Amino acid sequence: MAWKMDNPLYSLSDEQEQQEILKMWGEERMGGLIHPANNRLPFALTFLIALIILTAFMLTMPIWGQRPTAAIYQTHVELMNSPEVQKLATAEEKMKYINTEAYNRAPDNALKGQLERHPIDWYDLQNLAPHIIELQKQTKYPLDNFTVLGDTVVLANFEGNFRADGVRERKQPWWDKGYTIDVFYVSYYCLWMIIMIKRLPHFSKKPVTT
Amino acid sequence: MLFKYLSAKNEDIPPGSAAIFFGFSAIFWFVVGTGLGSFNAAKLAFPDFVTGTELFAFGHMRQVHVLAVIVGWISMAFAMTMMYMTPALGNTRMWSEKLGLWTALLWNVGLSSALISLWIGITSGREYSDFAWPFDLVILFGVITPLCVNVIMTIAHRRTQGIYITNWFFGACTFMVGIVLLVGNSPEYFHLTGLSEAYLTWWNAHNLLGLWITPVAAAIAYYTIPKLTGNPLYSHRIGHMHFWSIVVFYSTPASHHLMSSPLPEWLKSFASVEGVLILIPAVAFVANILLTMKGKWSMFVENMEVKFSITGVFLAIPLNMQGGFQQTRSINWFIHGTGWIVAHAHLALLGMSTFLEIAAVYFGLQQMLKRKLYSLALANFHYWFVLIGFCTYWISMTIAGLIQGAGKVYEVPYIDVVIAEHPYMIARWIGGTMVFTGNLVWLYNMWMTARVGTLVPDGRYAHELAYER
Repeated sequence: MAWKMDNPLYSLSDEQEQQEILKMWGEERMGGLIHPANNRLPFALTFLIALIILTAFMLTMPIWGQRPTAAIYQTHVELMNSPEVQKLATAEEKMKYINTEAYNRAPDNALKGQLERHPIDWYDLQNLAPHIIELQKQTKYPLDNFTVLGDTVVLANFEGNFRADGVRERKQPWWDKGYTIDVFYVSYYCLWMIIMIKRLPHFSKKPVTT
Repeated sequence: MLFKYLSAKNEDIPPGSAAIFFGFSAIFWFVVGTGLGSFNAAKLAFPDFVTGTELFAFGHMRQVHVLAVIVGWISMAFAMTMMYMTPALGNTRMWSEKLGLWTALLWNVGLSSALISLWIGITSGREYSDFAWPFDLVILFGVITPLCVNVIMTIAHRRTQGIYITNWFFGACTFMVGIVLLVGNSPEYFHLTGLSEAYLTWWNAHNLLGLWITPVAAAIAYYTIPKLTGNPLYSHRIGHMHFWSIVVFYSTPASHHLMSSPLPEWLKSFASVEGVLILIPAVAFVANILLTMKGKWSMFVENMEVKFSITGVFLAIPLNMQGGFQQTRSINWFIHGTGWIVAHAHLALLGMSTFLEIAAVYFGLQQMLKRKLYSLALANFHYWFVLIGFCTYWISMTIAGLIQGAGKVYEVPYIDVVIAEHPYMIARWIGGTMVFTGNLVWLYNMWMTARVGTLVPDGRYAHELAYER
């Protein structure tokens, strides 16, 4: 098995190997099922595959492996008892004000993105607030090590590196997300499909049938 | 008649005997399975139909219908096709015709006992793996393993250099489905509960479809369409791409069945992306088969097997479009747990897969029996009853599912949703009963073919001969 790398988009097989494969196809007897079966991949199909891969990532982007942490609602908790919020009449109005203010105060786009993906209502916030205030008083785990599930706060079940004080990080690592794994997975697939297809003789070579 | 070969020497058994045994068994179980389906649908359409007997309650009957169809009809039709296509593609005989006959016998006996046990209430309660664990072991070691050994040994003893794409699928899928059954049923063997049980249950269910029912059905079309049309397969490259993308993308997204469960988020994200990527093998398969039809589209009208096959290929298009997108979180939120999913499951099993298998069973039985079909008119009746019956079922259940989804989201009282769905439940029963009727006719037609069908000379195909009856 030899590889011809001078023109990889044409073929990866050397001339001798191409001739051997063509000879094998020419001599095969499978009832005529495959004889001239050396057609190229239609362009429409290649285009569709690229479109599918793009769609798969774009469509599933909102669920890219992020769980809301207690840290993203700190501003909400600070604001909920403020005079500006207290004077508003309905739960909807209160939450509209809090959400807008928390979004505007967010220091970076990462947090803004998380706030957009994980909206919270007034009643869940009321249930969460005492827990979050309590957790702010302890020092063992930072607030972003706690996951918010509905109206409850739990210590995240990730097991990360040991910190200097011997306690394990419970924060979701940056790489531990479905899309990161998928990028590698799909890249391997595309690479191996290209190698496999380019190891076959070029589609312009038709097997000789008798 | 076939029973006399069970104790004969392997070389004395006529080639195709196991295929015939499996073929008629498959049709029999299809009649039983769709009959049960029609009965169950009647219970949903008319709540007062057969009440007062525990054994005939919907909870007892539903899973008997599902497993009669999957293990009886679909899997036996697969075994039937493997028994004649694998040796034909390797220019050889089946490795052991005798093993094939014994497998068919044990399959029928095992399935009958398993379904009776399920019917009387012995069940694991896990969807698609409802059998109690002793029956799971019988299916794995008494049925799938001997089938796998027979198929792989036949491929190993082939007298061609290359392995055609159909045999790639047959060899790989008979092996992979064994792994799926072994791992997928592990909650029962090891008493796993909770999320582990839920995930493995749906890993099993997902991969029964992904690594068994859909790819083997596609593999059948890779044989029947070139064989019947006389056109070589359009592209072996696309066939390769189909095979490897099935292995890569279909084996991974099981957790998209549990999008609202507390599984790790990364796993659900990963599965959701992979779920959309299932469109790659789907597009490859459909494109390859339709391009193979070039210049032979008249056969879609004239030839019974091509008609069934191409209808199955067409049904693969909506099947995979639904499958690719309904597992994304926003769409799943609306349709999860509704009749939409029931419609989708029937589109896979009764639509795409079944149409391809029916074609292969028609073709294979005529070839193995060396007899031409008894009645083309009855076969046409079968085609139209199954197609119209299926479409009625599929469309009505899809609409019912959308009503349920809307009812769920807008918090409509449940009883109002039940009332709104009622006409669609009646349509479902009518559709299912049409499929059952068509299958009864098919069984009769094939039985008569075996008895009085016109003999086909060696080296000829049944469809090449003038129609005589």
